[in-house]
Amino acid sequence: MQATLVRTQTPIPAQAGIGLRAPHVARVLAERPTIPWFEVHSENYFGAGGAAHRALERIRADYPVSLHGVGLSLGSADRLEAAHLRRLRELIDRYEPGLVSEHLSWGAVDGAHFNDLLPLPHTRQALNLVVSRIAQIEEALARPILIENISSYLRFRDAQMPESVFVAEVARRSGCGLLLDVNNVYVNSVNHGFDAEGYLDAIPAQSVREIHLAGFTRKTGLPAPLLIDSHDHPVAAEVWTLYENALRRFGPQPTLIEWDARIPALETLIAEADRAAEYLHAVQPEID
Amino acid sequence: MPSNPRLIDLQRGFAAAIGGRDTSVRDWVEARGIDPDDRLAIYRHASQATYSHALGEAYPTVLALVGEAYFEHLAAHYRSEHPSRTGNLQDFGARFAEFLDAPTPASAHPPYLADSARLDWSRQSAALAADATPVDGRQRAAAAASNPEHLRVRLHPSLRLLRSEYPVLSIHRWCQSPSSAPPRLDDGAESVLLWREDDEVAMVATAEASAIFVESLLLDKTVDAAATAALDADPEFDAAECLGGLLSRDLITGFEQ
Repeated sequence: MQATLVRTQTPIPAQAGIGLRAPHVARVLAERPTIPWFEVHSENYFGAGGAAHRALERIRADYPVSLHGVGLSLGSADRLEAAHLRRLRELIDRYEPGLVSEHLSWGAVDGAHFNDLLPLPHTRQALNLVVSRIAQIEEALARPILIENISSYLRFRDAQMPESVFVAEVARRSGCGLLLDVNNVYVNSVNHGFDAEGYLDAIPAQSVREIHLAGFTRKTGLPAPLLIDSHDHPVAAEVWTLYENALRRFGPQPTLIEWDARIPALETLIAEADRAAEYLHAVQPEID
Repeated sequence: MPSNPRLIDLQRGFAAAIGGRDTSVRDWVEARGIDPDDRLAIYRHASQATYSHALGEAYPTVLALVGEAYFEHLAAHYRSEHPSRTGNLQDFGARFAEFLDAPTPASAHPPYLADSARLDWSRQSAALAADATPVDGRQRAAAAASNPEHLRVRLHPSLRLLRSEYPVLSIHRWCQSPSSAPPRLDDGAESVLLWREDDEVAMVATAEASAIFVESLLLDKTVDAAATAALDADPEFDAAECLGGLLSRDLITGFEQ
């Protein structure tokens, strides 16, 4: 591949970006819409070459880009996969992303992958593992990463701390930044019966470097309320409220609209990002 | 189960529950108003949907041939025999054709299904293959002046050759737009050359001698040896014309003497 662009890492601005998905790539390339930044799933660019890379090269030339991983499985008890890390490092060297993020989850054991973001028990053992893994990852990637809190549909009985403390301790002890998914906080507050505002209170304010927003689905037919982090709806009213409160606590942060299933027209995503921009504007009036 | 599992045991237990093999990990899951089995089922169903969808993206021809319901059944069986081995879902279907080659008696597949899967996988791997720069005029001139007995060509990383006893390309095209009459299995064998061109995967059915020639070049045989093998199949075969075709499509990226 002839990577022709000489550039350095472009920081992700404290504005509202969009998760770039395949159905919108052609329009973004053709129309260059006014969107402050894009986030892509790292693994979608694990192929060696071809159309996806050609498009990302062009988009990266005009927009700040963040790489968001979904398959590293940093919480796997047995091992971290060196090949995955190497490929991610190559992508980082190629695209010089403004941010690189991974999930606070696991997704593989004994060499079998589940390609899902599975919940960790909130134990000291898991905390120690995650902290050491983050150091290992940051060393392999030669850069800091952000860690994102996930949605979950169950909790383990052996928890030794609430999720918010687990997340906060990961940030404190590893020194990593947090990608705070406000929708995931809300989803888990319903699924596990905790106070979402109290969760935000537990998070060290200086750790939050990015925020995610997405839509959820209400699962029916169960004896208790359960929300699924489906990324196929507009951001819910309750999540906008929590976002507003998060911005008040953590200041204006790069914010991303994620929509991964039943993907609507680009205009719908831009409208959601515009709405996030209004909240950002309210806490940082100098941003136009 | 012990009250404080080791993380590795918890993850192994969770894996068994997702695979539908053993849900005893439920004893370590909080109920809180919902049966732990129902909570685990959310992950199991999401996993099935993820793999079925990923496989369907990679194998549109197989999906079209067998229909959604049976495809889901195949995906579930494939997943249990060949669990995903990487954190990249694009790798998940790598052994699907091999899986279809060895059907169980209960689910015998039509004989062309595995080759249709090979065509789908070749398309995906061609789309994702590395980029490469084609040879320039100076390299062409140097190659033209060299001895074909010692000349080898480097082909574009996206170039694939699929040889099948079935009309796999016709089947694929009919699945994409099933408006015309379906291909007949006795239409005969098709060898398909695939490569990436302008970000799309191009495909042509190719004559047996050309297929042998390209196959030999892909196996790093010399131009002379490849031409000899092709001439065995068809005495009229013209190696210069075939090389010219590869050059004109920017599929030769280097010459080695």
